[in-house]
Amino acid sequence: MDSDKPEPAHLDLSALLEGLCKEKIAFILVGGLAAVIQGAPITTLDVDIVHQQTVENIQKLDRFLKSSDARYRRPDHKDIRPRTDDLKGKGHLLLTTKTGPLDILATIEKGRNYEALLPHTVEIEFRGHQLRLLHLETLIALKKGTKDAKDLQRLPILEETAKQLRKTK
Amino acid sequence: MKKILTDKPTPQNVKAKTDEGLVAMFIKMTPEQRLTANDNAARAILELRHGFRQTRTSAS
Repeated sequence: MDSDKPEPAHLDLSALLEGLCKEKIAFILVGGLAAVIQGAPITTLDVDIVHQQTVENIQKLDRFLKSSDARYRRPDHKDIRPRTDDLKGKGHLLLTTKTGPLDILATIEKGRNYEALLPHTVEIEFRGHQLRLLHLETLIALKKGTKDAKDLQRLPILEETAKQLRKTK
Repeated sequence: MKKILTDKPTPQNVKAKTDEGLVAMFIKMTPEQRLTANDNAARAILELRHGFRQTRTSAS
């Protein structure tokens, strides 16, 4: 996320999450922010979600993206907005919105979709809404086979966090 | 004992260099506090990057 957008003053990942929750969109928060919420002392500049691909949920997400002024993040800065059909596919939508970058993922490691991940999630209360996030232990398990340098660097921090969480149970 | 994470983790050194105190401090916070801390950190990073870019632009 090295482009000029979003401008620093507009970045508010909490507001982005709250907006998704307010629209009652079925999604699982994955990636760095899910780890942050569970106690990992890392910093992340985007929101990664896996969405449920039902017709109703795609409509809700599509409405949210329109109201959030979502566009694809592109190195050439071409102004391309996501289409409803894009949300039905199996790929990753890497977007920028008025409150920050949002990555909408149909599946994550080894093709796991919303339904497959659901048993490995925890729900927390967030600003009066239920926010569902991928359990830290599952995040770690999925990242263990990664070749992504950023994920590899974070892995020991996530493992230490999980270790300390197990001790405090 | 404070342990620091390096830029080049390897299977041999990553485990020993995690800042355990920082993890403990973050675990004590509520999820909302952690989100706010991340938002603040992320904004600070973007502002600093913006300043860095401006400096480079004006220097060239």
